[in-house]
Amino acid sequence: MTSAASAPGVDGRRQRSERTRQLIIEAYLALLREDPHIPTSARIAERAGYSVRSVFERFPDLLALRIAATDHAFALGNAQAPLRDLDGDRPTRIRSQVQTRAQTCENWLPLWRALNANHGDSAELKARIKLMRTAIMQRLETMYRPELSALDERERRNILIALEALTDFESWARMREDYGLPIEQARVVWIETIDRLLPPTPGA
Amino acid sequence: MSDTPDAPVAADEPPRPNRVDGRRLRSERTRRLIIEAYMALVRETGQMPTALQIAERAGYSVRSVFERFPDLTALRIAVTDYAIAEGRASGVLRDLDADRLTRIKSQVEQRGSGCERWLPLWRVLSADAAHSADLQQRIRMIRQLVVMRMEMMFRPELSAVSDDTRKKIVLALEALLDFESWARMRELYGLSFDEASAVWVKSIDRLLPTASSGP
Repeated sequence: MTSAASAPGVDGRRQRSERTRQLIIEAYLALLREDPHIPTSARIAERAGYSVRSVFERFPDLLALRIAATDHAFALGNAQAPLRDLDGDRPTRIRSQVQTRAQTCENWLPLWRALNANHGDSAELKARIKLMRTAIMQRLETMYRPELSALDERERRNILIALEALTDFESWARMREDYGLPIEQARVVWIETIDRLLPPTPGA
Repeated sequence: MSDTPDAPVAADEPPRPNRVDGRRLRSERTRRLIIEAYMALVRETGQMPTALQIAERAGYSVRSVFERFPDLTALRIAVTDYAIAEGRASGVLRDLDADRLTRIKSQVEQRGSGCERWLPLWRVLSADAAHSADLQQRIRMIRQLVVMRMEMMFRPELSAVSDDTRKKIVLALEALLDFESWARMRELYGLSFDEASAVWVKSIDRLLPTASSGP
């Protein structure tokens, strides 16, 4: 077979292999949403519609699969949450930030919990948790730049830490699960308390 | 140290209160040492200990552990109850009648110290709570105690707003003063105890409304 003839075949195989990989990751995430315990390779394979051998042909071990699933979720979460209303007034930016963050918490809370509860001693998983938290902080800093820019570095950091704690996954979970608030009411709690935490908007 | 088995009581002997009391005291002491061993191991490793580890640390046999606790979940619940009692005893409400800043600082000092002391146990219990309704109930109780304390410490400010606003502020305070919020400041951001306390003091001050009257 000449190389010119084999290129489409190779591409097809690569695409199929990539699709299998993708389906295994999606099966893993679906199982985590249903049950916070780390799924076994047999359950993952069954859900994805492949053999256990196929799983381990794509991922050397379950930790590698967890890392790939985390990366996939992080990329998807970012794509679902573009920065909006950056030039809006203070209430618009707060509402926009809360809307996006609440949606992220609704979508990704089960995975976040599983990741935190089961990272064990994996430096790679811990690094990803840190990366996600850093991304959350950067988003907060970008959304509330007008209010934060007038502060010195320490004060800015302190408010960002408080905002992050307030809008943490588990803060959302408590409102929804423990206190039974509907999404809209939980959003209002965040909107009003972010407004209290933020310093005045310059020039407002 | 080995476990001392309870001595049998002869059927024809009248009850001897002193001996019974002594046995009960020894048994209670064994129970407490097992609980303390569990807590010490969790603090050191951040992991749920095995029955063998607990027994070794307490200085008893594994059998002694299971003579006092039918299973490890029962032991975990006893540990939680012990921790709740100790936390309540050491977290006496102070400065209730003081000015706003003193009350905020007092609350942060107490809560920060509590997080330092109990975070490892909190993490182990929370991670495993899904398996036990009793553990879930105790986690809810701990959260309620934290909220009740905040409501008492900040009564002058919280009583000045509507019930709806008060609930929202309390929810925000609870999120802010959560165990993992403290843990992030200390572990992820590398803040000292005083720096982390300063973050909380300032944030609580921003979140709390102005009191209608009083100090």
